[in-house]
Amino acid sequence: MIQRRGLKRWLLALAALHGVVACAGFLAPYDPAEQDRERPYLPPMKIHLVDRKGVHHLRPFFYAVRLRDGSFDQFEESTGQPLPLQFFMTGARYRLLGLVPTRLHLFGAPTSRIHLLGSDAYGRDQLSRILYGGQISLLAGLLGAGLTLFLGVLVGATAGYYGGWRDGLFMRLAELFAALPWLYLLFALRAFLPLAVSPVRAFFLIILVIGAVGWARPARLVRGVVLSARERDFVRAARGFGATDGYLLRRHILPETSSVILTQAAILVPQFVLAEMTLSFLGLGVPEPVPTWGNLLASLQQYSVLLSYWWMYVPALAIVPFFLGYLGLASTLHQDAGIGKIERTSSWNSW
Amino acid sequence: MEELLKVENLEKHYQGARVPGTKKEVTALRGVSFSICARSTLALVGESGSGKSTLALCIACLERPTSGSIIFRGEEIAARPEEEQRGVRPKIQLVFQDPARSLNPRFSALEIVTEPLLVQGRSNKREREDKARALLAQVGIPQQKALHKADEFSGGQRQRLAIARALALEPKLLILDEALSALDCSVQAQISNLLLELQSLLGLTYLFITHDLAMAGHLADEIAVMEQGKIVELGPVEKVLRSPEQKVTQRLIMATPRLTDAADGLVVA
Amino acid sequence: MRYLLHRLTQAVFLLIGASLLTFLFSTLAPGNYFDEMRLNPQISPETVTALRAQYQLDRPLPVRYARWVRSLLRGEMGFSFSYNTPVAPLLWVRARNTLLLTVFATLFAWALALPLGIWSATTLGRAPDRALSWATAALLVIPDLVLALGLLILAVRSGWFPTGGMASVGFENFSRFQQFRDVASHMELPVIALVLSALPILVRHVRAAVAEVLEAPFLRTAASHGIRRSRLLYRYALRAAANPLISLFGFSVGALLSGSLLVEVVMSWPGLGPLLLEAILARDLYVVIGGVLFSTMFLVLGNFLADLLVYWADPRIRTRTAAQ
Repeated sequence: MIQRRGLKRWLLALAALHGVVACAGFLAPYDPAEQDRERPYLPPMKIHLVDRKGVHHLRPFFYAVRLRDGSFDQFEESTGQPLPLQFFMTGARYRLLGLVPTRLHLFGAPTSRIHLLGSDAYGRDQLSRILYGGQISLLAGLLGAGLTLFLGVLVGATAGYYGGWRDGLFMRLAELFAALPWLYLLFALRAFLPLAVSPVRAFFLIILVIGAVGWARPARLVRGVVLSARERDFVRAARGFGATDGYLLRRHILPETSSVILTQAAILVPQFVLAEMTLSFLGLGVPEPVPTWGNLLASLQQYSVLLSYWWMYVPALAIVPFFLGYLGLASTLHQDAGIGKIERTSSWNSW
Repeated sequence: MEELLKVENLEKHYQGARVPGTKKEVTALRGVSFSICARSTLALVGESGSGKSTLALCIACLERPTSGSIIFRGEEIAARPEEEQRGVRPKIQLVFQDPARSLNPRFSALEIVTEPLLVQGRSNKREREDKARALLAQVGIPQQKALHKADEFSGGQRQRLAIARALALEPKLLILDEALSALDCSVQAQISNLLLELQSLLGLTYLFITHDLAMAGHLADEIAVMEQGKIVELGPVEKVLRSPEQKVTQRLIMATPRLTDAADGLVVA
Repeated sequence: MRYLLHRLTQAVFLLIGASLLTFLFSTLAPGNYFDEMRLNPQISPETVTALRAQYQLDRPLPVRYARWVRSLLRGEMGFSFSYNTPVAPLLWVRARNTLLLTVFATLFAWALALPLGIWSATTLGRAPDRALSWATAALLVIPDLVLALGLLILAVRSGWFPTGGMASVGFENFSRFQQFRDVASHMELPVIALVLSALPILVRHVRAAVAEVLEAPFLRTAASHGIRRSRLLYRYALRAAANPLISLFGFSVGALLSGSLLVEVVMSWPGLGPLLLEAILARDLYVVIGGVLFSTMFLVLGNFLADLLVYWADPRIRTRTAAQ
């Protein structure tokens, strides 16, 4: 229970991160589909508090951007008027948390477009796209993990509780799935499903694919827990008063699997978000124009982008704090379960 | 006196899979026969591996014997299919040795004692709770602790809980499989007195499995000695303990430590 | 011996299972290469049907599978529709490139992970261990896609590494030695990416395995006999830790193979990865199946190699099976 505090900290951090993404509509200055074809690939714009003359401004501001002399695709800050940011301004319509329609945004610029993280080939604001993209990617990861865990528990509990041919069959299958390189499996499955589908269908398709591939490991872990729980005396006792299999599973055995399931969830969610990113990056996932962290990186496959437009890499970094949070959570949960005793000092050095 | 339980030629073989590393069959019970009269206590003693626990499981219908019959209140129960056994189960209840393992630590005391009633689909929630509270009182668990989780109780209290749970379905036969062995000496005395009280109060029959001969002498009317899956000696407790016939019985008696000479007259020559 | 045979049969079953699985997945395809072709107005429907019959795609699944297995045993793996050549030679070339990458990455990763892990284990809780733990945690948190892309950008903007492909322009005119160096320099970036992605996990596991052995009573007894610490470490401790480490080795082969798919695509290394991707996008059925099977084969081989090593290293396995 000493780990409770550590656990709370990680959960809080993750909640905050997810909260930021959930409020994408509010935090993003623009609609992710809003284009500005005249000025593609704008670099990130800096926010200033002190202008060129050394005057302090109360409101943060930025300078408009214009083409550099002699170049047709390089931009720089213009020397015009400082353009102040406006906070809590009205902008594009969206639904807060998917429910409340509103037009309130945290910040924006009334006259010129502000791109804190630059813009892409169509002039769309990267910051907005990253925020909205996070919603899709994270949701795909969460739902995929949910599906996998559901399948894993189903298979593992059946195999562990009933044993016999069911156990043999499922565990052979699990061995097969676990032994194959999962990315290849993912691809193989994705390969044969329709490629050119609408973003919504693609989204659900990917969740299905990701979820269907990763069930083997959770299934094996759950099976182990169920096998040992089945032999516990209190289960026998309950059977002694005539409890049915369903009751035993529901009340006694499955609750024992909760810690395994939670730890697996903490490990699988980031992996599955990454899986979505990989698929979308390669063009096998959610297609344009819906932004996901994966397809936001797709432009990096072009040499010119790699060379000149480094800010197109930033969406890749968005997942890092989530990875940190989930892995931290997983390791805390793991330690809670009593594994990780290596951390105590060893006696090797006292010899 | 009425015969409550009669066991005839019970045999139980386990396939090699149960024993790791070998493919051999293991015979746990070889032709066991005995009977218990209603309202009496039969003590079953023997060393580890003599088959006592297997016998308990078979009688409680948690294992199926390979052959032989178990006749309870005049009816054969060993050969019955599972669904029919469910009807008999309430009448024969088992109390395990280690209450830390036989009670789900996540359950509260009340949940533990109401569980058998819940599983058998008896009455409604209120009635179940009332009955459970009455049982808790009967075994000496204070009412304020009814909602505490099982792992918050001491060993002795947990065993009381286990007994209360076993009594919930109003059984006729209670099998106590080394039920006192995991407890401290003083606690053992308390619990054994509780058992005696309950027996006279509720008219229970006990099958008391133990390796502690002193306890057997204290609680039982008859004693059966098991060795390697067979009953080698059977008879009234005083006779067996005073003049044991079999070597194994003598060994067990000699091995029993005694601080004072038996206050209840169990002196072995 | 029995142990090895058992492992071998397992490996074969795995291969069969993988091929079945991929074939089964292929039934999910509502459309295929020829449907796309049909959409092309320049190709007449009769041509499409004729081609389909030629490739036998109109036969039921079990028949197709049986034919495929038969041709597999002859060394053929079907036909690629988009490259218009048999699949097997196509795969072998690409596979060789992937193997090159994976083998070197595995070697380097282990060459780094072993000393680092051992160092960590022997200085448990102290500064070097803590620094290493932080470093591995930092690396772990960066997923391989992010790492690969990041390295690529770094390489492109700094010009330190050649990016893209396996050979420079004018490769044919290089001398043997120059060719060797050219390929090696092109390999640098992808190998670094693979090693960095695998390193943190390997280091952690080595550390855990060695640390556990260092706590073992038998080692303490040996120490009390006055044996020197370095000897203790290398002759006693490491041998005991060998078993879990060898299984880890087998596992690392699979992980690196999976990882190589992505790295090859990102860095344009002409291995199985980019081929698989192209084939998927082009719905080139047999190339996809062949590609998945090939990588499974490597995986199984890698694991079998690990099993061989375990058999050689751990005398208990030989005696245990002999006793049975």
